[in-house]
Amino acid sequence: MKKVSVSFTLNGDSVKAEVPATWTLLKTLREYFELTGAKEGCGVGECGACTVIMDGEAINSCLCPIPEVEGRSVTTIEGLADEDGSLHPLQDAFLKNNGVQCGFCTSGMIMSSKALLDQNPDPTEDDIRTTIAGNFCRCTGYVQIVESVEMAAKEGK
Amino acid sequence: MENKLDYVGQRIPRKDGPVKVTGRAKYTVDVQLPGMLVGRILRSPHPHAKILNIDVSRAERLKGVKAIITSDDTIGVKHAFVDTPRYPADEPPIAKDRVLFVGEAVAAVAATDADVAEEALSLIKVDYEPLPAVFDVEEAMQPGAPEVHTSHPKVKEPLSNIAGKTESGWGDIKTGFAQADYVREDRFESHLRTHGYLEPQATVASYEPGGKLNVLTSSQGPFFKRAKLAQTLGLPFSRVRVHKAYVGGGFGGKIDLFYHEFCAALLSMKTGRPVKIEASREEIFTAYRHGEPLIIEIKTGVKNDGTLVAQQFRVINKSGAYRGTGVVVIFLAWGFIIGAYRVPNFKYEGYAVYTNNPPRTAQRGHGCPQMRFAVESQLDMIAEKLGIDPLEIRLKNARQAGEILPNGDNVYNCGLTECIEKAAEHTEFKKKYGQARSASPSMGSIRRGIGIGVSAYITGSLIYPNSSSTVIKMNDDGTVTLLTGALDIGQGAETILCQIVAEELKLPMEDIEVIAADTETTPVDIGSWISGNAFVTGNAVRVAGTEVREKLLSIAAEELEASLEDLVLKDKCVYVAGSPSHKLTYQQLVSLSIQKRDGDPIIGEGHWRTVRGEPYHPSLATTKGRWSDSYAFGAQVAEVEVDIETGQARLIRAVTAHDCGFPINPTLVEGQMDGQVSMALGHAFMEEVLMKEGRTLNPSWLDYRMPTIHNTAKSEVIDVITERYEIGRPYRTKEVGEGYVSGILAAIANAVYDAVGVRLYTTPFTPEKILQGLGKLK
Repeated sequence: MKKVSVSFTLNGDSVKAEVPATWTLLKTLREYFELTGAKEGCGVGECGACTVIMDGEAINSCLCPIPEVEGRSVTTIEGLADEDGSLHPLQDAFLKNNGVQCGFCTSGMIMSSKALLDQNPDPTEDDIRTTIAGNFCRCTGYVQIVESVEMAAKEGK
Repeated sequence: MENKLDYVGQRIPRKDGPVKVTGRAKYTVDVQLPGMLVGRILRSPHPHAKILNIDVSRAERLKGVKAIITSDDTIGVKHAFVDTPRYPADEPPIAKDRVLFVGEAVAAVAATDADVAEEALSLIKVDYEPLPAVFDVEEAMQPGAPEVHTSHPKVKEPLSNIAGKTESGWGDIKTGFAQADYVREDRFESHLRTHGYLEPQATVASYEPGGKLNVLTSSQGPFFKRAKLAQTLGLPFSRVRVHKAYVGGGFGGKIDLFYHEFCAALLSMKTGRPVKIEASREEIFTAYRHGEPLIIEIKTGVKNDGTLVAQQFRVINKSGAYRGTGVVVIFLAWGFIIGAYRVPNFKYEGYAVYTNNPPRTAQRGHGCPQMRFAVESQLDMIAEKLGIDPLEIRLKNARQAGEILPNGDNVYNCGLTECIEKAAEHTEFKKKYGQARSASPSMGSIRRGIGIGVSAYITGSLIYPNSSSTVIKMNDDGTVTLLTGALDIGQGAETILCQIVAEELKLPMEDIEVIAADTETTPVDIGSWISGNAFVTGNAVRVAGTEVREKLLSIAAEELEASLEDLVLKDKCVYVAGSPSHKLTYQQLVSLSIQKRDGDPIIGEGHWRTVRGEPYHPSLATTKGRWSDSYAFGAQVAEVEVDIETGQARLIRAVTAHDCGFPINPTLVEGQMDGQVSMALGHAFMEEVLMKEGRTLNPSWLDYRMPTIHNTAKSEVIDVITERYEIGRPYRTKEVGEGYVSGILAAIANAVYDAVGVRLYTTPFTPEKILQGLGKLK
């Protein structure tokens, strides 16, 4: 299969991927870079488990063809904690508020929420709800997830 | 001993939280092994057909194909969730001669990548001869209907396709109805929903030279999977190792042995290479097992004051093409009736019925939501007829502490009355109930209603593997390692078990390492289903912790020349009460034990069983025999808004008053409640797998609507505490993960009635049904 060479910034590092042109960003992250934090729950952009941030926007990486990523900047859940291992306020808040149960939606939830907080550090509850409306969670009923994002926003002030 | 609790009952962050929030937790789908092949399954396109011939020759020649298996490659052993003399296993691991549903496996391929594997499937030529099929469960029961399997020999009625039957009763049903002032009969029916676990079903199997099969699989308990794999592959149990990867949700949908698990294992045995099979979401929707829709007929007799005197049930489970858990749900359904209310005269019949739909399986609550919807809806109708309010009729019949159930179980602690009272008080139920129906038409199109539902749920039961055992080892540095077979599927099993270890040994959570869910290295566990983790595995951990503590104290007493009663555990030290400097650290005590106790490094073992002193599991046929030593109770109130113009209804508030014994971790308990409320509102208003002639019409989340945050309601939780944790003493805490999808579903139905006067007999509660009830749709 014809491969493409795609250069982009991944979690702050300049990287180059040589993968089949038909691959998505999600498949490239998981199989080429072995970053498995972003998950595939459905493959059709409905569940949000594959959410990553590209140039500041939360996107479904399962719907993003890899050639589209050329020259862009991508952040995944693996790029969130500081290099010394200290957690991002969102990660810390999800931990403290039980915003996590099975954990399969967690990476996507946190990345969607990060894109929001980066643009709007003082979101209303409605802003938070709109932001994660594209992320399914079957375990929590979303209650403790919203509380987690609210806590992270408060801590970030 | 002092009973100040530092860990149990505390809001302690999850043990598995850090790996999950950083994306480092490895789920089965994330696993890549060197040389790993990709497996895919060829599935039947027919709901019922004879297999005339399978030709794999073209597929075999495709470059990159490493193995192809069909039924001929199996040892011909069938399996099933239930495998007893009455109900022998009925499922071949790959179809032989005949396929019984769309999606049944007929062959599987292992290849170097997914594209090759999928192309190979298209090159396998299967000749089928279609056979008459049956999809409607009541048609399937008619004499002369196409036979999926022959009716069970023990069922004497002239009915077709009976997979199994449960019959039970007590008192005298005729006398009971004769005593009644009012008798009514109703029929309720539930619909097909999927579990909606986010992580797709997946397995990585790796067969080592020398004959050991290693399996990572997204499941709800490794010991059940090991048993089924060993049986169907003809391997000794000890040569099959099923071990933990993180699990992205189960909700009942990952218990049975699935085709992808068997096929990945057999393909790995054939190729000598690791094989991974991951199901697509479309496959999960079309070929995997959803929940079990029930038809429920109830006849109830009451006195004028609301006292229940007789109740008769006929329950039909739409089991699908194989028995699966079909005969379990008709047994459990009985249990989900008897727990909540006293009924002196009772008769129950449950049938599991085959059709050519895909097999069904357990789904969170396993029959309880369907049964409570039926019972609680009818109870409200009875109350209205008698002019009693919904609270009074429930309080009159509610079980009390210490009552003995017809199966011999003692409910011991029971907070049901308090749950009903607190839920009602918190929501001002009495004030609100009945208001909407007397509303003036000038109010616009929105009507608000309130309803209540009650549930009782078993905490564990006696079902294979029947036991939870744990080991706690002390390490040289004074920390401990917990070995448990329990599998954390998101509910927080590892966290609460560590809280119990921490409490018994008074050491911080971070000093406990957990080795979990590995059939080779951890002791057996009942599994993360049947709701027994906190009670059964928790007590096993507590016993192991007690043994470790007693060993620490014994050495310390000797060394510190103090009596046992004067010793206190704190901060990984044992010291003499009132003399904090007079102490030994756990590190020192481990070293002393090795020196002075003939090398004992301090290990504790504990085991527990749902019902102790009861050697046998209860009868699926008659319900006789003990079920559980611990029952959970709850009352849930729903407030809904219904638009009388559009028929749209939505849940706006859910209040759960629950008797969970005591919460080991209140934050996790609340998370369970919130999740169940969300799942129930999907059940009530949104979700339905649509099928036509055995085929799924909406096999994706684009077409199957699961609740997003926009659909959620306010969820409030009230604890009713009926039990306490005492260090070193057995406890009966109760399940919190399944019962509460049930009362709330019933509460929603009753609230819709309160809002608009429309009684709903079938789920889901769609705008069409509500408009029909309002007379606005023909």
